[in-house]
Amino acid sequence: MASTSEIRKGVVIKHQGDLYVVVEFQHINPGKGSAFVRTRMKNLSSGKVIEITYKTSETVEIVSVSFQTMQYLYKSGDNYAFMDMSSYEQIEMDGDLVGDDAKYLKEGLDVIVGMYEGSPVSIQIPKKIQYKVVEAPPAVKGDSASGNVTKEIKLDNGLVIQAPIFIKEGEEVLVNTETGEYSARA
Amino acid sequence: MSTWNDLKDNPRLQKIYHLRLEIERLTREFFWTQNFVEASTPIALRLAGQEPYLNPVPVKVGDPLNKEYQFYLRTSPEFALKKLLATGLKKIFEIGKCFRNYESFGGTHNTEFTMIEWYQSPGTYWDFMQDTENLFKYIGKKLAIDKLRYRGKEIDFLDRWDRASVKELWQKYIGVNLDDYLEIDNLKTLAKKRGYQVDGRDEYEDLFYKIFLNEIENHLGQDRPIFIYDYPTSMCSLSLRCEDKRYAQRAELYIGGLEVANGFGELLDPIEQKKNLEKDKALRSKLGRETWEVDPDFIAALEAGIKPSGGIALGVDRMVLLFTGALDINEVIFQSISDQLN
Repeated sequence: MASTSEIRKGVVIKHQGDLYVVVEFQHINPGKGSAFVRTRMKNLSSGKVIEITYKTSETVEIVSVSFQTMQYLYKSGDNYAFMDMSSYEQIEMDGDLVGDDAKYLKEGLDVIVGMYEGSPVSIQIPKKIQYKVVEAPPAVKGDSASGNVTKEIKLDNGLVIQAPIFIKEGEEVLVNTETGEYSARA
Repeated sequence: MSTWNDLKDNPRLQKIYHLRLEIERLTREFFWTQNFVEASTPIALRLAGQEPYLNPVPVKVGDPLNKEYQFYLRTSPEFALKKLLATGLKKIFEIGKCFRNYESFGGTHNTEFTMIEWYQSPGTYWDFMQDTENLFKYIGKKLAIDKLRYRGKEIDFLDRWDRASVKELWQKYIGVNLDDYLEIDNLKTLAKKRGYQVDGRDEYEDLFYKIFLNEIENHLGQDRPIFIYDYPTSMCSLSLRCEDKRYAQRAELYIGGLEVANGFGELLDPIEQKKNLEKDKALRSKLGRETWEVDPDFIAALEAGIKPSGGIALGVDRMVLLFTGALDINEVIFQSISDQLN
């Protein structure tokens, strides 16, 4: 059994006989009380998401998952293909497990894949990813009093985001993958 | 994230920050128009509160001869504001920074956070429940915001708010009469029966929260804000007891499952209060935490006499989070702890 301090995004917990991958966790202190860890996790077979809150002194059964850096290759039907750059082995991951992160994938991107018994169970993408701007129409400066004018730009993987009007086609930008927002010029 | 660099090119974060400043201004305005006096009390305290599970941030204060004194950054302005009630002030509030060490950097916590606390004397806990409701509605109307947002859920707050006693909630969601589970042994049996891990280190409050956090809290305030009130007396060392002395006048506000405020019908009996604080101090010691004496000046203020009072502390950052629909507390705080560390 492991301590709750080992709960991280991507680890796999055995709970009441089923395997769950942790998608989110947060330390909380309810009502000036002692510390708890709120854990959102997804059932690896049914896909159902549950939330369990553990007191930090409790123990959890964490099953061994190996985390490997892999490179994104391409989309194949509903799946996403990655390559383990140390063994050159190729794996495919179910679209459900990739979830919303799919829209940030671009060819050649390094991600961390959690592998359990030879199958991928989780993916972690960088917090900021660099893209090339492929479309950035000149902005129409509207009647914004605040001066916070943005415009839509398209990135090299097809992702469309809002960016400041000074961004031009051909530039490289960083996108915050937690919010999906423009972060800075690269 | 909310550093100057994040704000500079991000209209969403700019809007959140501007709304934050506006909400703080409107909060003050609301209390001024209700004839509350704005108080100002120390952040650095020689004797901090005795809450068993809170960790005040220790700081050293030195005199010109390099003699150092151990102080603590307040976890709330509670004792200082009650001392002001003993001077004859009747309606007071304070907005200021408070600190709780060893809590999460982000999500719904930041070590340094902004709290508003207010007291009415004479007053009861029903008064501050109504004040809180009026405050949210005042801000909402001024900012033309008609829904609070938390974790993808929209919550109506301009209409009726809910109230429920803790006992009613246990009956509704757990199907038990909390009267039968006010002793640690019974609650331990119930927790075990419901599949929770239980061990010798679990205090009554831990067992209470294991069940409450997993089976009750997520239901609270999903459609409209809810005040839940009257907690088991053992969980309320600063509250007046209810008529049924097994419960005490503590109330918490939940919105969208998020705990936003915690208040009490104030316990003002100096003997009972000192006894409770000494008990909390003993628990701190048992839990291996730093201890300091129970503030004798606070007990003296109670001895001088304070009229029946109600007081509540509300997390301003969480309130801003709800009004703006920010994704994380770090988005409503300029240069949060995590921003400064990264």
